[in-house]
Amino acid sequence: MTVSRILVVDDEPQIQRFLKPALTAAGYEVIEALTGAEALKAVATQAPDLVILDLGLPDMDGKDVIASLRGWSEVPIVILSARDRESEKIAALDLGADDYVEKPFGIGELTARIRNALRHRGRRDAIPEIMEVDGLTIDPIKRLVSRDGDTVHLTPKEYDLLLLLTRHTGRVVTHRTLLTTVWGPAHSDDLHYLRVFIGQLRQKIERDPTQPRILRTEPGAGYRMAERD
Amino acid sequence: MADDDRNHDRRPDPDALLALAERDRRGKLTVFLGAAPGVGKTYAMLSRAARLRADGADIVVGLVETHGRSETAGLLEGLEVLPRTRASHRGRVLEEFDLDAALKRRPSIVIVDELAHSNPDGFRHPKRHQDIEELIVAGIDVWTALNIQHLESLADLVTQITGITVRERVPDVVLKRADEVLLVDLSPSELIERLKEGKVYLPESANRAVDRFFRLGNLTALRELALRRTADRVDDQMVDYLKQNAIDGPWATGERLLVCVGSDTLSEKVVRVASRLASGLNAPWMVVSIERPDREVETPERLQRIETLFRLAEQLGAETRRVIGSDFVDEILKLARREHATQIVIGTRRRNRLNRFLSKSLPEALAKRASGFGVYIVTPEAGDAGRSKRTLPVPQLSSLWLATVIAVGFVAIAAAIGKVIDTIVDLPNISLLFLLAVLGASVSGGYLAAFLAAILSTLAYNFLFIDPLHTFTIAAPHEVFALFVFLAVAIIAGGFASRIREQAEIAGTRAAALQSLYDFSRKLAGTAKTEDAIWLTVSHLQARLKRKVVLLLPRQGDLSMAAAWPPDTELDVTDLTAARWTHDKRELAGHGTGTLPNSRFEFRPLLGPHGIVGVCGIEHREDLDLNAERALTAILDQTAIALDRARLAEETVQQAARLEGERYREALLSSISHDLRTPLATITGAVTGLRQLGERMTAENRDDLLQSIEEESGRMSRFIANLLDMSRIEAGTLKPKQEWMDVTDVVQSAVERTRKYAPGRLIETGIAPDLPLIRGDSVLLSQVLFNLLDNAVKYGGDESINVYARRDGKDVLISVTDLGKGVSTEDLDRIFEKFYRRGKPDGRAPGTGLGLSIARGFVEAMGGRIHAESPAWKKKGTRIIMRFPVAEPATMEPR
Repeated sequence: MTVSRILVVDDEPQIQRFLKPALTAAGYEVIEALTGAEALKAVATQAPDLVILDLGLPDMDGKDVIASLRGWSEVPIVILSARDRESEKIAALDLGADDYVEKPFGIGELTARIRNALRHRGRRDAIPEIMEVDGLTIDPIKRLVSRDGDTVHLTPKEYDLLLLLTRHTGRVVTHRTLLTTVWGPAHSDDLHYLRVFIGQLRQKIERDPTQPRILRTEPGAGYRMAERD
Repeated sequence: MADDDRNHDRRPDPDALLALAERDRRGKLTVFLGAAPGVGKTYAMLSRAARLRADGADIVVGLVETHGRSETAGLLEGLEVLPRTRASHRGRVLEEFDLDAALKRRPSIVIVDELAHSNPDGFRHPKRHQDIEELIVAGIDVWTALNIQHLESLADLVTQITGITVRERVPDVVLKRADEVLLVDLSPSELIERLKEGKVYLPESANRAVDRFFRLGNLTALRELALRRTADRVDDQMVDYLKQNAIDGPWATGERLLVCVGSDTLSEKVVRVASRLASGLNAPWMVVSIERPDREVETPERLQRIETLFRLAEQLGAETRRVIGSDFVDEILKLARREHATQIVIGTRRRNRLNRFLSKSLPEALAKRASGFGVYIVTPEAGDAGRSKRTLPVPQLSSLWLATVIAVGFVAIAAAIGKVIDTIVDLPNISLLFLLAVLGASVSGGYLAAFLAAILSTLAYNFLFIDPLHTFTIAAPHEVFALFVFLAVAIIAGGFASRIREQAEIAGTRAAALQSLYDFSRKLAGTAKTEDAIWLTVSHLQARLKRKVVLLLPRQGDLSMAAAWPPDTELDVTDLTAARWTHDKRELAGHGTGTLPNSRFEFRPLLGPHGIVGVCGIEHREDLDLNAERALTAILDQTAIALDRARLAEETVQQAARLEGERYREALLSSISHDLRTPLATITGAVTGLRQLGERMTAENRDDLLQSIEEESGRMSRFIANLLDMSRIEAGTLKPKQEWMDVTDVVQSAVERTRKYAPGRLIETGIAPDLPLIRGDSVLLSQVLFNLLDNAVKYGGDESINVYARRDGKDVLISVTDLGKGVSTEDLDRIFEKFYRRGKPDGRAPGTGLGLSIARGFVEAMGGRIHAESPAWKKKGTRIIMRFPVAEPATMEPR
């Protein structure tokens, strides 16, 4: 297995200072970029396997960096954001970022996100194989969902929703993405649909719907299907 | 569909319902109407009250005169009676109705006897019906009593019938607006019986008048008036009921009266007659006066008379209007058509035969040209001196004198020139010279001079140029004829010329007034602040009207004086109360009005497009003439608009300040969150990295992470210290010590501290050897120097940093200089502002934006000064300079 190369884009030298040794120790090769322009150039010339991107950059908006990258590259992007920049984070995810980590974060959390993003690299919308999580089996080919051997009956919308999240297992899917994909672009703001259907889905697939372990809520951003255990 | 249409048409008239709703919010007025004193109005009122009281109604007696009659007094038992207020009037103590007590008590019904009563001076309203109106507006029901002879429109009729002049009068609108009118009726013979039994109270002084008044004929006539008025009201109510319930009717007669008045004495009679006619026809009526456009309306007295007449007409329920036009008949007819009038009421003068021969009177002309209108002509009484008041204005002696001088002068000059010419050539038309003299006199001396000059010219011409010379006799008959023609031509031409002069004068005055108004509005347009606008207004008004002017504005919920001219003008309690009344009710108050007339000022509301903006008070001297009145109205309108505009502008500024504050808070929050989060993120990341991956790292990397943790912790604690310092400065709790400081020591300690934190930087110090001590807080000064050095490290590039200290006159001067990019001139002052940062526009500069601001706060708290210079040296860098006063060494205690 080749060593994955990670581009860290952050203008704060302190952040670079601790990320580089930590990621190196975790087995990655680290490239550094201090500005958005440097980042775009580095992605073009050095072909990193993943980009860690701080949204606040001195020369350009982090969201613009994502937008230009997504024009020609499918490289997974994990963004570093702050709690008070919630709307920026969601906008970044909608623009095509794969995941986010909120500052301050532990190295363990960051490496987990990196691993997950790398695993799904290159098969963003591929039909997943049969998938199992917490006793729930989802078979996209047969369109079958079962829990501990018993078939779970889902409405078409519930199934579409579950499948969309399954395809992005481990990654956050924003409200907007879920709504526009399952219900159509006209419903991009109808958050209450989503709340109702996620509630129904949890009733059917979770062992304890009040303590969901499969469909995790990402407050303010969207939902995330838990990783295979 | 047809049914729908009909239903639609038969919906109740919305205006009628609206009027009903309006009335619901007000209190209700019940009038007990009688034909004469003694018919038992008070008795009826009180016995009704007693019944309601027994049913538990909240009814109180505000004021009732029992006149010592025991049966009436007996009725008062069991009723709550409000205390009266005392007022001294011409040396006598009077007990009067206490309006404020009634308003405070707020019963559902209050009884106030004698609607026609006049209050003594010093009361809020001069008339009781105004007190009652205030009670009704406050939502209190009022019962009151009225004798028919006190009704304004009947005043002259009553005088005619009984021969007694009624002084206390009540406007007809009061009775018209009453919600209920109860007629208390007693047959005249019974009343006379009661009078004989002594049951009718009358003041003793009026005995003879009483005998004249209480005659059977009089009482019968008055009774008829009262009955008829009540019947009219019943009719009105019926019409109202029909309208409100959408019942088709023949409702009103559809008549509309147009009443033409002038400044003559007959006009008052015209108005009264029209009022009775209108009430009999149940018709709305409008009173108009017509002015000529080319004549500055007559004299102030005549104007005043028209004004009084209009006020009377309004009280009687008429609409009033002023019209400007030269053809009276045409204007009247135009207005009549526009207003859909059906009848025109006009007064006529008694005219002598010559007058009648020369021209048609206005009523005649009107009758001739009016088609489709009824013309109702009011004639003067036989003995009425309607004509005698219309005498020509007697010219004042001085103007007569002046006119004579001018006339004689011009004629003398003409005669002299004529004589000279006559000796040189034989001029047949020498009379033209005199004509010139007449024109000259009329232009410079007016009509009177023209007339005199015409007569004098005729005489002089005859005396000097017509044979036989030097006599007033004329030889040739055709000369006689020529002389008369000359006289006629001279008088007519002179009249025209003087008229032109008059008009030029009027145009001049009007232009001046317009110019003055224009100047004022231009100045006013230049003011943006309320303060400027009001001072401009009061000074302009004072200059224009030559009397004291005050302007009051609402501030913090109360009206207070904002400007006055002359500026030392003061308002007493009455004035202020009147001003508040104007503000609250948006109507005139104070002198010359129905509210608090004994105030020295007349208060007018300033009504802008968004409601009332202030109140203007004008000292009362004599009544304002029409021009001044117009100017005043225009000025107040403009002021109101200017004040409204100023208020909007001020609100916009406040809004902007609020927005600025909001932006500032946001900057603060984002700054704090960023400056705390970055070190925190670094520490968390480094710690977790060390814990989870530590064994896989090189020793060097581990060391570096540990060091970054230490540095970031230091950074955070500095930031928190800065925030605390800043809040101490902001809260004003900073109390620097006043101890002796050696600048050298303080500089050294700050430089050492900076070196520890930025080891690579070269810091040079240059301190004058004999530097005096200064007083201050060494801890604060050290912090200031550290902040300045910190900034120099951040922005100074890689060049060295210089710290100098030396004596400069009475100051000790300390400077910190870096050789970085420097600061632009416009930012030099702003760098001391909170959260201002050099560098990146997204607010993510390395610093907190507090360092320099804290430095300034500390330095100023210690009595020093601080400023910045850039470029500092060779077009590069920034220098921050502090100055502290040298402490007097004499106060130093030797150790």
